[in-house]
Amino acid sequence: MQKAIEEFRVQSRRLGLVEGVAAQVTSGTGRKSRWHGRLFENFRNDFLDAVPHEVAQRGGKKNILRRNQFGVNLSGPVLIPKLFDGSRTTFFSLTYEGMREKTGRSSLNTIPTLAERTGDWSSVVDPAGEPLPIFDPASTALNAAFDAAQPVTASNLQYQRSPFPGNIMPAARLNPTARAAAQLYPAPNSDAGPFFRNNYFVFTPEVNSANGFIGRLDHTLNERHRLGGSLNYSKGLDGAAPVFANAANPGPVVRDRQSQRAGVEHTFTISPQQLNSFSIDVSSDRIVNLPETVNGRVFPNYKMGAYLPMGRANGELRSARQVFSIAEGYSTRWRQHRLRMAARWFRDQVNIYSPTYGEGSYRFGPGLTSLPGINNTGHAFSSFLLGQAEFAEQSIVLSPSYFRRSRYSLAISDQWEVFKGLVVSISVGLEMSGARQEKYDRQSTVALDALNPENGRPGALVAAGVGGQGRTFQPFLCKGEPSLGLAWNPLGSTRTVVRASYGRSYSAIPVYASQWGTQAFNGNPAWVSRNPQLEPAVILAASAPAGGRTFPDLRPESANNTIADLVESTGRQPTYQSFGLSLERELPNSLLLTAGVGHAHGRNLLLGNTASNPNAIPLTALEYRDQLNDEGFNRALRPYPQYQRFNVFSSWPEGRYQRDAGYVRLEKRSSAGLVLSTTYEVSKQLDNYSGPYGIQDYYNRANEWSLTSSNNPQRLTLTYSYEIPMGPNRLLFPVTDWRRYLVEGWSVSGVTTIVSGLPLALRPQFNNTGRVVDTLYVDVVPGADPHVAEATPERWFNPDAFAQPADFTVGDAARTHPSLRGPGAQNHDLSLNKRISLSIEKSVEFSMVGLNFINHANWADPDTMIGTAAAPNVNAGRIIGSRGGRVIQLGLRYSF
Amino acid sequence: MRHRWTAVGLLGSGLLLAAPPPEVRSARLRVPFRAPGEPLEAGDVVVKVNGAAAKVSRLLRPGDELLLLIAVDLSGDLTLVDQARETLLKQVEALPPSVKVGLLRAGDELRVVEEPGASREALAAALQALTISARPGLLNSLEATQQLADSIAAKAQVRVATLWVSDSNVARYREDYTNPVVNSSDAGDMSRRFPEGLIQERIRQLTASLNRGETPVSLVHLQYQGDRLNTAYQTGLNDLVRSSGGASEFCRSVAEIPAAIEKAFADLLTQYTAEVEFRPTKTKQLDVAVETGDRAVQFRARRRLVDVTAKRSTE
Repeated sequence: MQKAIEEFRVQSRRLGLVEGVAAQVTSGTGRKSRWHGRLFENFRNDFLDAVPHEVAQRGGKKNILRRNQFGVNLSGPVLIPKLFDGSRTTFFSLTYEGMREKTGRSSLNTIPTLAERTGDWSSVVDPAGEPLPIFDPASTALNAAFDAAQPVTASNLQYQRSPFPGNIMPAARLNPTARAAAQLYPAPNSDAGPFFRNNYFVFTPEVNSANGFIGRLDHTLNERHRLGGSLNYSKGLDGAAPVFANAANPGPVVRDRQSQRAGVEHTFTISPQQLNSFSIDVSSDRIVNLPETVNGRVFPNYKMGAYLPMGRANGELRSARQVFSIAEGYSTRWRQHRLRMAARWFRDQVNIYSPTYGEGSYRFGPGLTSLPGINNTGHAFSSFLLGQAEFAEQSIVLSPSYFRRSRYSLAISDQWEVFKGLVVSISVGLEMSGARQEKYDRQSTVALDALNPENGRPGALVAAGVGGQGRTFQPFLCKGEPSLGLAWNPLGSTRTVVRASYGRSYSAIPVYASQWGTQAFNGNPAWVSRNPQLEPAVILAASAPAGGRTFPDLRPESANNTIADLVESTGRQPTYQSFGLSLERELPNSLLLTAGVGHAHGRNLLLGNTASNPNAIPLTALEYRDQLNDEGFNRALRPYPQYQRFNVFSSWPEGRYQRDAGYVRLEKRSSAGLVLSTTYEVSKQLDNYSGPYGIQDYYNRANEWSLTSSNNPQRLTLTYSYEIPMGPNRLLFPVTDWRRYLVEGWSVSGVTTIVSGLPLALRPQFNNTGRVVDTLYVDVVPGADPHVAEATPERWFNPDAFAQPADFTVGDAARTHPSLRGPGAQNHDLSLNKRISLSIEKSVEFSMVGLNFINHANWADPDTMIGTAAAPNVNAGRIIGSRGGRVIQLGLRYSF
Repeated sequence: MRHRWTAVGLLGSGLLLAAPPPEVRSARLRVPFRAPGEPLEAGDVVVKVNGAAAKVSRLLRPGDELLLLIAVDLSGDLTLVDQARETLLKQVEALPPSVKVGLLRAGDELRVVEEPGASREALAAALQALTISARPGLLNSLEATQQLADSIAAKAQVRVATLWVSDSNVARYREDYTNPVVNSSDAGDMSRRFPEGLIQERIRQLTASLNRGETPVSLVHLQYQGDRLNTAYQTGLNDLVRSSGGASEFCRSVAEIPAAIEKAFADLLTQYTAEVEFRPTKTKQLDVAVETGDRAVQFRARRRLVDVTAKRSTE
């Protein structure tokens, strides 16, 4: 044994394992004095990919794709000859990655036909294939025979209006600005249909690039103190394939992005039982939009029903978000308790210049070219051709906004080993959040309890720091966040673990990258039609209508007649609670079986304008029927009639959700190079806000309680990795000559996901509710089964089980159907790798990553639009097409 | 003079031609293996090299001297660390006098904390005083530890074993094994769909390197983590350990730590080392099998011969 101990001493010195003794070896295990790293290139080209199914079905070809992603990594001790030897104390890691890409984007849209652009509607049909009449608003006249006691119908018209002769609008009647703009639409190039719908297939290229760097430094000051630092930088250009090749392009805008992160961490080992850490982090993300312009101006935004719009929102945008954080943590051990205390301070800063509609936004509806009060007449684009907008707004932004907000958190946690086999974790936290401030107090909101001097009703604009108003509109929030968890080995067996957990948490109200809440300083004038069937809000002209106001305008009534920004001021905060229980059991053959259940719910979730409207008209007002089309009458029914509506910008705390789930997971830990993990989950999630279209009744959230639109009730996930046992010392082909380079080092990894379909959200084709209901649901036909015996793409569900609600009534179906679901989907991704060892430390690895490598096509969701009995949607219940396609990437990595 | 040099040249050539080529009559190999249960005798053990029974020249058994190298790689949770520390102390104190323990620390880089042969009190004090604020060092220290153990085993007729106790997390290494996103604006990045590639490659490289040595690696990992990267990391460690002929335990809760460390000690105490002699062949591959009747036995079945024969043939 003495000889062995002597040898230990000799070798440990030779290898440099003893403090103060330098290593005498430089190879083999002499890694300490060496730098390591890798060079890599990932390559994609469209010749490797399959034609996406949605493209192939329309006769399209592959989008062009040329993509190279490349980089280098180097890490090791910091060594500066003759100056600094950090081989034992200082370690660096540097990574550079670049990307160059040219790719194409495709989409299928509906644009006006060439005939429609000239005002010729003679061959235009409705969704049922019947002629669609276009009426001349200039011919509008009161119907003397109208019986006001009866609903407006084709036989009891309130207003009479003549269709254009031959359904052709005379050229002289067309608005010159609209005619000029319409010429910017490209020609239709597809007949995917039906009835002229889906007539424009976009297939255009974009160029993207990025360069990024990550640097890390780790320095050991001494046995008890260590410092770490990191620096990240990335700059990229997000190309945007244009939908039109001109300034009216409604597609995404080219963006210049830049992000930086820096952090420093100090760790102090006070004693073997006490640890302290302190860190400072700073991050910055900057985005600048680079929109197309004409003479330095962006194109206005024109919205025309289901047709592809022209122009876009937020064409111009410059934003920068900075986050500063300081964190302090202390851990110690006392008897069977392990205590941890943590404190953290955050500072969020958002600097933003974002005129949403700098050149104005105009909405055109069918009402002005319809037969007033009669569905399925008129068209939004024909109203556009006449230049008659039912609504217009403009963003006047005089200066950027500089938002600031601080957050603090304190937490103390204890992990307590109650007895052998039972560990309990208890944590109590305090989450504190200040409200958003603006550096120059350029903030405003509507105070719902202040009286408006114009009409004496509640609701008046208030500005930060003016008239007794503080610098913020929300209170300082301080909430406790408890959590409890346990891990228990029942019956003393470590092969079985029972875990249980409970947690309650709050989330801070975000500081969005938007100039929402600055209305007194940056105006947002709006023009609303007094009756969208009779009178336009504005007539389209070469320039936006004059706002007639100067800013800042701090008068309490200055936001009247606009869509007023409303900042929720009660301090309600998103609140989450969750419970979990699981059982883990080790089985023979390296198997681990886990079964668990979980429940989670939340309230005061922040909702946006499609799910919240504090200025909505109660549904009982539908009894006023056609009178509701009169803007003055309609406005008078609103809680705050001086406003069009409110813009709550994803910050109105009214959402609720609940999720219940159960799962089984089987993991096969490594055995003969094979690792498998599969999880099957069944879940049910409900809420009162989600969905693609919005909600029907803002005042009765209980009625809105239905399945979450993104809830897959069943989900199966399989991940695997297998090192193929070929080559020397392996089971298969144990060759040792040159052939070993071919057969050894192969491995395969994969992820497979199979999910059941999402709940279907049915919607009626028409919404004739006098703008009381933003999102109308369908009616359920009593006795009709919505399911079909065998769901096929031709008939996925029975559309006859639903009906268009009668005019001025709401639908009685749920927001999402409780049992109808879209088709399920599956995806299979695979990675095949081949490693060639060049030496003990050098290797080359070739990889092939295939997304959807079996080129599986997933069905699209069925058409859920329900028409009227007279004009049914012929596609309702049908699935048109599928989507998906194999994508391949080849990679090469040299490690040294 | 010229004839004399010619004669010397001819004589030299003749001697060279007449001299027999250097011949390796036999190679020697140490084969560590574990066989729980009653102690085996030399006659109970058959070691086959490339299918042929090799001569077992010496069999070191559980009762024989053992030099145990404990390497701790602790960088995280105090609860786990304290539990591991307490259990290690108990196990070390219970070891028979024939077992000498050396303590190494792997955080940041491998360091000797206590040489083998020190008193158990000194060892206990060193264990108690171990600091944990370091970056994980397991992957960077395995080769050196094995090289140290192999050198000792080659010089002294004792059993040598290594035991790693680690709470390492792949994200805490100084090296970048997590493949972090560099360009967050790159929406078409597919290279991180399988982010475990880097750590898998490192472990494959390490496995190949360790397979050139002899001493098995045993590992107790204090905290099994279920995220994708750590699953790949832990799976790789498990493969690496098994490939070396050792055993690994991964704890899923604090309560499992004592049992895992106790089991690792029990396994190491049942370690045998057979020294065998065999006739080397031209093949670069060596298949080793250990048979002990119907007793369960754990050993490394295959190894590469290249380094072993080169070294052994000159001994």
